[in-house]
Amino acid sequence: MAGYAQGTAEGGAPVPQEAKLLTVSQALDIVKGALKGIRLTIVGEVSEVSAKRSYKAVYFTIKDRDSSLKCLMWNDLYRASGMELEIGQKVEVSGFFSLYAARGTMNFDVRRLSFAGEGRLRMEVARLARKLEAEGLTDPARKRPLPEYPSVIGLVTSPHSDAVHDILRTLRRRWPLARVVLAGVPVEGAGAPAAMIEGLRCVAESDAEFVLLGRGGGSYESMMPFNDEGLARAIAACPIPVVTGIGHEPDNFIADIVADVRLSTPTMAAAGVVPDQAEVAEALATRGKALHGRMLRALERKSSEVKRLSDRPVLRDATQLFAQEAMGVDHLAGRLERALPAGLEKRRDTVAQLRGRMARVAAIGFQRERSLVDRHRARLTVGLSGATDRFRRDMGLRAARLNDLSPLAVLGRGYAIARSESGDVVKSVSSVSSGDRLQVQVSDGFIDAKVGGSRLVSTETVALDD
Amino acid sequence: MNEENGSMTQAKPIEELTFREALAELDGIVAKLESNTMELEDSLVGYERGVALLSSLQKRLADAQQKVDVLMGELDAAPDDQTRDATLS
Repeated sequence: MAGYAQGTAEGGAPVPQEAKLLTVSQALDIVKGALKGIRLTIVGEVSEVSAKRSYKAVYFTIKDRDSSLKCLMWNDLYRASGMELEIGQKVEVSGFFSLYAARGTMNFDVRRLSFAGEGRLRMEVARLARKLEAEGLTDPARKRPLPEYPSVIGLVTSPHSDAVHDILRTLRRRWPLARVVLAGVPVEGAGAPAAMIEGLRCVAESDAEFVLLGRGGGSYESMMPFNDEGLARAIAACPIPVVTGIGHEPDNFIADIVADVRLSTPTMAAAGVVPDQAEVAEALATRGKALHGRMLRALERKSSEVKRLSDRPVLRDATQLFAQEAMGVDHLAGRLERALPAGLEKRRDTVAQLRGRMARVAAIGFQRERSLVDRHRARLTVGLSGATDRFRRDMGLRAARLNDLSPLAVLGRGYAIARSESGDVVKSVSSVSSGDRLQVQVSDGFIDAKVGGSRLVSTETVALDD
Repeated sequence: MNEENGSMTQAKPIEELTFREALAELDGIVAKLESNTMELEDSLVGYERGVALLSSLQKRLADAQQKVDVLMGELDAAPDDQTRDATLS
């Protein structure tokens, strides 16, 4: 018995043909031993999962088209794998078969678990996403806002696709004011990431205000260029905001998580980045109404202010301003009119009376004054003649003495006085020159003379012409 | 107020403004008129500018034709919208 078991388990020798009765346990032991050394890696789709906290292991089933295999994975290993098993996932399991003797069932004891195919890709993408997230490239604070009314829109997409026309058509319908700057690049295949990076660079160097990176839907694998790490870094580093519109609604690509704005399809992206011209036109009409309304109200307000002023009595009837004065003037004018002729008559009489009285009074006064003056004059004449006689005698004496001293007396003796034109007495020949006019005074008058010449002699003489 | 008047008198020609700039200026003018703080003369000047901005903006919307500059690659001719709509339905 033991020999058989030993032979089959270790050597892999053919199970002996002769019927030797084994117990169930013995039989399972043989199988257990035979399976234990076989390590396998199997790919399959998860069809059942039973993961409960109370269990020591996770139980699940993988299958292909024809067969299914029950698997288990011990909790510590499962947690270490970092995976979350879900029905429908394609997975790769590595491990060995084991038998659960108590039930006689066979399990695949999973030592290593990973995604397979698209699942593997998704896992890699998730890992990259975590990495970029850790670097802060997906930080919401990094997201830049888009201009509300763009003038130039960059577009990076395949030029030979429905997506490009969907985008252009949407932009044309909603916001034809914006110019589109297109970088037509392949968006599928090995060269796509590099081409898209170049397209982004090209558009960013133009005058575009932001760039739309778009592509229609496809299989997960065909969308892989949008999960490229290089593209993700180019998007994050792009000097203008990047908007992604990558088809395949439920999926989130690496490009999406680093983009400034993520919209789910090319058409939605185009619609999401521009205003709708119909709405803008409506908004403009509203503004126009507001503008006209405000102006109208401002005018009404001002004109009501003017009206309020113009309604004031003073401005409405300017004569009221002077009513009191005008009435006063009128009153006075009336009085004047009435008073004037009567007063004039009265005053004319008064003047005539006064003139008569004045004439009489003046005549009487004049008479009296004249006799008074005559009397004074008589007395004055008498007094005056006495005074003048005495004065005249004194004068005669003084005059005789004065005459003795006067140069005029010298002249009477035949001397003459010569005076220059300035009236100075000429005492020296040096004070005259030829041609000077002189006035020569003699006893009975003046002689006008002209200097003919002069000469100095010891005795003072002056040659005289004429 | 003075500053605002200043900017208004030396304002850029409207054709040189982008849509966004023109719209922002129009909004500013409406807001100023709403504030009721302007002299009548200033509000008339503002109103005149506002009307000019408004008609320029409306004209731009009405006249806009999409322009596409291709920097890289070659754009396939698009089926016109009618053909496309007919095909889709």
